[in-house]
Amino acid sequence: MVSDLVASTEVHELSYKLAAGQESSLLQGIALRKSFGGVEAVREASLTVMPGQFVAVMGRSGSGKTTLLHLLAGLERPTAGQILFRGREIGGLDEDGLALWRRDNVGMVFQAFHLVPTLSALENVAFPLYPLKMTAAERRKRAAANLALVGLSDRAGHRPSRLSGGEQQRVAIARALVNKPTLVLGDEPTGNLDSATGDEIMVLFTRLRSETGVALLMVTHDDKVAAAADRVLHMIDGRLSNGNEA
Amino acid sequence: MNLRYLWATLAGRPARSLAAVFSVALGVALFVSLQAYASGYRQAARAPLVEVGADLTAQRQGTVPDKFEGMVFPHSVAPIHRAEIQQIGQVLGVRKVAETLFFWDFQPQGFVAGLGLDPADTFGPGRLRAALTAGRFLQPGEAHTAVVDTTYAQQQGLTVGGGVSLDGQPFTIVGLVDTTRAGQLANANLYIPLADARALAVAAPQVRSVFAIQPDDANLLFIKSDQARADLIAANIKQILGDKAIVSSGSSFAAELGGLFALIDRFGLIVGVLAFLFAAALLLRVVAGTLWERRREVAVMRAVGWRQREIAVQLWSETLVLALAGGLVGLALAALAAWLMTLTKVTVPVPWELSPSPHFLPGGANMVAVVVSLPAHLTPALAAWALGLAVVGATLVGLWLPGRIARVKPAEVLRGE
Repeated sequence: MVSDLVASTEVHELSYKLAAGQESSLLQGIALRKSFGGVEAVREASLTVMPGQFVAVMGRSGSGKTTLLHLLAGLERPTAGQILFRGREIGGLDEDGLALWRRDNVGMVFQAFHLVPTLSALENVAFPLYPLKMTAAERRKRAAANLALVGLSDRAGHRPSRLSGGEQQRVAIARALVNKPTLVLGDEPTGNLDSATGDEIMVLFTRLRSETGVALLMVTHDDKVAAAADRVLHMIDGRLSNGNEA
Repeated sequence: MNLRYLWATLAGRPARSLAAVFSVALGVALFVSLQAYASGYRQAARAPLVEVGADLTAQRQGTVPDKFEGMVFPHSVAPIHRAEIQQIGQVLGVRKVAETLFFWDFQPQGFVAGLGLDPADTFGPGRLRAALTAGRFLQPGEAHTAVVDTTYAQQQGLTVGGGVSLDGQPFTIVGLVDTTRAGQLANANLYIPLADARALAVAAPQVRSVFAIQPDDANLLFIKSDQARADLIAANIKQILGDKAIVSSGSSFAAELGGLFALIDRFGLIVGVLAFLFAAALLLRVVAGTLWERRREVAVMRAVGWRQREIAVQLWSETLVLALAGGLVGLALAALAAWLMTLTKVTVPVPWELSPSPHFLPGGANMVAVVVSLPAHLTPALAAWALGLAVVGATLVGLWLPGRIARVKPAEVLRGE
């Protein structure tokens, strides 16, 4: 049964690429495997994200979807398999190379927001820009623009502890976009939010995607997130299968 | 390194930051205070020499006179001959030698301590020039003139223009000096030109009976030298003058202080360094605790594109700022401690052989001492050392710990959240 699903996934991925015509993929994971000790968290997972596409990976807790996301973000090294970004293998990059790759191409949004508690909302948005050589004014301008994009200009000076969960996630989204990435990876971005706030966040993601053209890859167990995606893949016991294409 | 982030981190965790600052401050304050205390005591020990503008004195024990009649040399100041004086002058690090001749003159009407000096000398007894209270000081080339200690002059009813007799020879009093303002070393009641003192000594039966006195001998030398080599020079002079040489230096006076000073002088540096290491360990503990709390933040830094070196520099900068702040607070505390130390008095005893009065006379055995405020100061060099050590400590802590934290595997940390 499982092997059928895997085979089905591969066929689906291939068909998707063919359907996309000459358009090249943004991110590709090919036969990714990840083991921790003797336990395989990800097994032969392959997927493709096209530019501007919204892909959701659904699965229960412990199914391996967060590990898959970490592999695709270069935060974790696969035990086997390849990750291609715009057709180029990123597995050969060292840790700093991967960091620079993320800096230039990838934004990340986490379930627990992971904002820096001692920084204001504006400073949190500017956080990825701190190592870059740019003036404080330029950094501030870019951060303010991204904060405005998520509708939180009036909360710029607030620390995370003074923001609601939804507001914190908006700040995290603005932070993910501040480097003008082509891909945003989300790990259960609505997981810590109530239903209404989760809906708001998904509306925001959808709007930002249409405004900026950024591709989204989100792992989630939230059906509403899946409903907003172009494609939904399912992860079961570390194996990836196709689901409904939106 | 981002200063705004640095400041936000330090100000946003005030308890941690203050704990780190005070850890370093404690170590720096202890280190600097101990060094300032030891240095102050060493300076205080030199006070008797500083009073006379010299770095060393040299003399030699000799024989007790057969009789205490007329001019005699105390047995602590046997003659030092010309050849020996020249040898001393040639010791590496010796800059100038002031020759004097110290003597007692026992007359039927009383006793007087006298010192023959070269009026051209600017240090040693030459410093008496600055303690003049009436008349004028001795001048080079003149003979049979004397300046008299004001207290002795009052006791004896002597005045400028009057006369005084030494071993039967008349001397005209040309000035009065307040000896107490010019130091406690080998001070006397009466000061005369060195040439006159030598002439008296060569002719004095009680000097000739026990010493082979020569017309160009001296018996007490004041020496200006390279202070850093003072102990080595003292050893050389002892070799020249033989077993009975008495060479007084800052170290020999320091030895007279004994007790607590000796302990701090010997172990102060070790204790200071241990205090520093203790402070470094506390800093390490605080920084380690802070970084452990912030490992998720570090993982996010990696996730949003910070390179390991950029993270390490940022974290190290925080440690450095804490260490520097701790160093400055420590210096302020040490300055306060040093100021409190200056309120204490140090009594530096002058050894009997440098005391002007015969110990067998009434009051002669009383201890002569120089009392000074403990000159404990923070020197720029000491402050620079302390800050330098703080920076080195912070760098070691900062290079090791943040370096390790910067290499944290973000997936492991973020997965655990």
